[in-house]
Amino acid sequence: MSALGELSALGRKKPAGQKKDNLAAYLFLSPWLLGLFAITIGPMIASLYLAFTDYNLIQAPEWIGFENFTRMLSDERLHNSLRVTFTYVFVSVPLQLAVALLLAVVLDRGVRGMAFYRSIFYLPSLLGSSVAIAILWRQVFGTEGLLNQVLALVGIDGKGWISDPSTALGTLVVLNVWTFGSPMVIFLAGLRQIPTMYYEAASVDGAGVLGRFFRITLPLLTPIIFFNLVLQIIHAFQSFTQAFVVSGGTGGPSDSTMFFTLYLYDRGFGNFDMGYASAMAWFLLVIIGAFTAANFFASKYWVFYDD
Amino acid sequence: MRPLIPPTAGRRLRALAAVAIATTLLAASACGGDSGGDSGSANGEVTLRFTWWGGDTRTKLTQQAIDAYQKDHPNVKIKGEFGEWSGYWDKLATTVAANDAPDIIQMDEKYLREYADRGALLDLKKAEGLDTGKFENDTLSAGEFDGGLYGLNAGINSFAIVANPAVFKAAGVALPDDTTWTWDDYNRIAAELSTKLNGKGWGTGAPGTNEAALNLWARQHGESLWTPDGKLGVSPGQVTAFYQNLLKLRDAKAIPSAEFVSQDMNAALDQGAMATGKLAMSWMWSNQLNAMSKAAGQELKLLRVPSVEGKASANGSYYKGSMFWSISSRSKHQKEAAEFVNYLANSTAAGSILLAERGVPPNTEIRAAVTPKLAPADAASAKFIQDIGKELGNPSPAPPVGGGQVEKIIQRYTTEVLFGRQTPDKAAQGFIDEVNGELK
Repeated sequence: MSALGELSALGRKKPAGQKKDNLAAYLFLSPWLLGLFAITIGPMIASLYLAFTDYNLIQAPEWIGFENFTRMLSDERLHNSLRVTFTYVFVSVPLQLAVALLLAVVLDRGVRGMAFYRSIFYLPSLLGSSVAIAILWRQVFGTEGLLNQVLALVGIDGKGWISDPSTALGTLVVLNVWTFGSPMVIFLAGLRQIPTMYYEAASVDGAGVLGRFFRITLPLLTPIIFFNLVLQIIHAFQSFTQAFVVSGGTGGPSDSTMFFTLYLYDRGFGNFDMGYASAMAWFLLVIIGAFTAANFFASKYWVFYDD
Repeated sequence: MRPLIPPTAGRRLRALAAVAIATTLLAASACGGDSGGDSGSANGEVTLRFTWWGGDTRTKLTQQAIDAYQKDHPNVKIKGEFGEWSGYWDKLATTVAANDAPDIIQMDEKYLREYADRGALLDLKKAEGLDTGKFENDTLSAGEFDGGLYGLNAGINSFAIVANPAVFKAAGVALPDDTTWTWDDYNRIAAELSTKLNGKGWGTGAPGTNEAALNLWARQHGESLWTPDGKLGVSPGQVTAFYQNLLKLRDAKAIPSAEFVSQDMNAALDQGAMATGKLAMSWMWSNQLNAMSKAAGQELKLLRVPSVEGKASANGSYYKGSMFWSISSRSKHQKEAAEFVNYLANSTAAGSILLAERGVPPNTEIRAAVTPKLAPADAASAKFIQDIGKELGNPSPAPPVGGGQVEKIIQRYTTEVLFGRQTPDKAAQGFIDEVNGELK
């Protein structure tokens, strides 16, 4: 009774109270909003303007209309950077998610010291895009690196994995797959949501491990897979640090690790071509947006919501 | 009272906080960098930022020169910002764009016009307190254009071959007579060295990991990398020939494997194959002899580059300003910056610290004062510069705006050729098209 009274009192006071609440909310949000406008939205608007100019960083930008965009059509190095980026995204993201899912399923089966393993496997995700790890990668995959020393033990002649254009991108794919920890943690959370009674019922009906995985786990996990897929694709398109550090800032050898972002940086800061670089940034935004939209569209056909 | 957060959740939250902090720290370390900071304060103290590229040797010597200057000028504080060549230009471009350029900039010929043309550098002719009266004739011209002086020559050098006599000795191969050797001699000797070193090292580093060797090749064949009116001066035929010779070296195993060359291309001076004693010969700038000798722990020797006919006077060599001192046009302390540059260029005190590490001093008085004090390696490079003086041809025209990109471009095509991904003639055409595309 008294609770109901309170509720109705709340209902009556609502307009004034809400205004006050909103104000408080905005106040609490203000540091973040300030950052959003000063560090994100502001520069974005500036870069949209710069995309239509010839801007060499030092002198004032000069309006050139769509010239930067038409130039992209005939820029072969840009086309190459798109090839490299797409290869990277389409190879490393599925591999990474597969590894993440596999380990999540294994860990979910109640391994002893699960918290420990979870932390250990999550660690690379925190470190993966750091400069230190990229430097480590150079050491591991260099001509005299760790990998070749291990290969030498079993009598295989290694090679300069990072300095050979045919394998350099592969080392970056491995680096990305290695950071499977964050999708894995999300998968683990998703697995917890699947009611055990489904498994029990399936077991009673004689379903094996694989059957249970493909008939129960996978379908019920599709929303989580979808979420991870969208997130990791966006993330992979934006990769920069790994390629920059591993290739010594060149995108080499022979542009084989020249991600779109790296080429953008090279144009903007290496070639004093900030107008073109800004246009490239907006092009990348369109690409990522298109992929995300396509993902959401396709999700209607394969993602299963259990409600 | 019950605590608001159950104990287990508290522990979880704490763990989360730890992770969050760790992540933030990682992100922060990834960004790194210093945030400039404004200079100048109420008591007349001035802080100048001074940036240079180079290895340990240069950094130590430069810091000593700074310390000596600060002792005599207690109101001036000089903050050094230094790094390796490969990351230097990105960083400089970023700071200049952010209106946060260092006051004093060590500049290279390749980028001098790029910055000066855009008004980023001060005309040193108008700078107070900077004297160029004692500079040798012609040493100022490379930093001079459109009637202004935008870079002050910091030292004279020349592109050369550096040889490691210890590796020659280990291979049992005699050092060549560099006044008469031809490209064929060079190829043959390098291949012989590789064979005799038997996997422990190679005859020579690859020519073509920067544009200077191509320029010499072009000059030997009546062309040049750049023309005086700021165009590309080398023909597809000569770039093809240059790359064909590179393939000869590769196929004879005179140079290391393609993977090795590609890995070594942007290595820091003291971590490269020459410094670690894996190469008998390598291509480099004469002033680097001192730093390279220190890094290698060996007394290295400079050789003249080979020529087509075996005549040193026809090998295309030229004097180059190894680097330049420039002052940012937006510096708030142009007078103090100019005084400091004057000290670097014209004071015996600075000269006897810096010696010839940046090349032979262009100020003839300083050169005379410094020469007796030079360490063996610097003395050798100074003598080399003097010796080749009578053999030099015309000066090499300075790179035009956009020419700074040529180094990265040639590295890419050299890699393509070494890995057999492009034939020499295709790479040559690609190189030329791309360089022309960069010139504005």
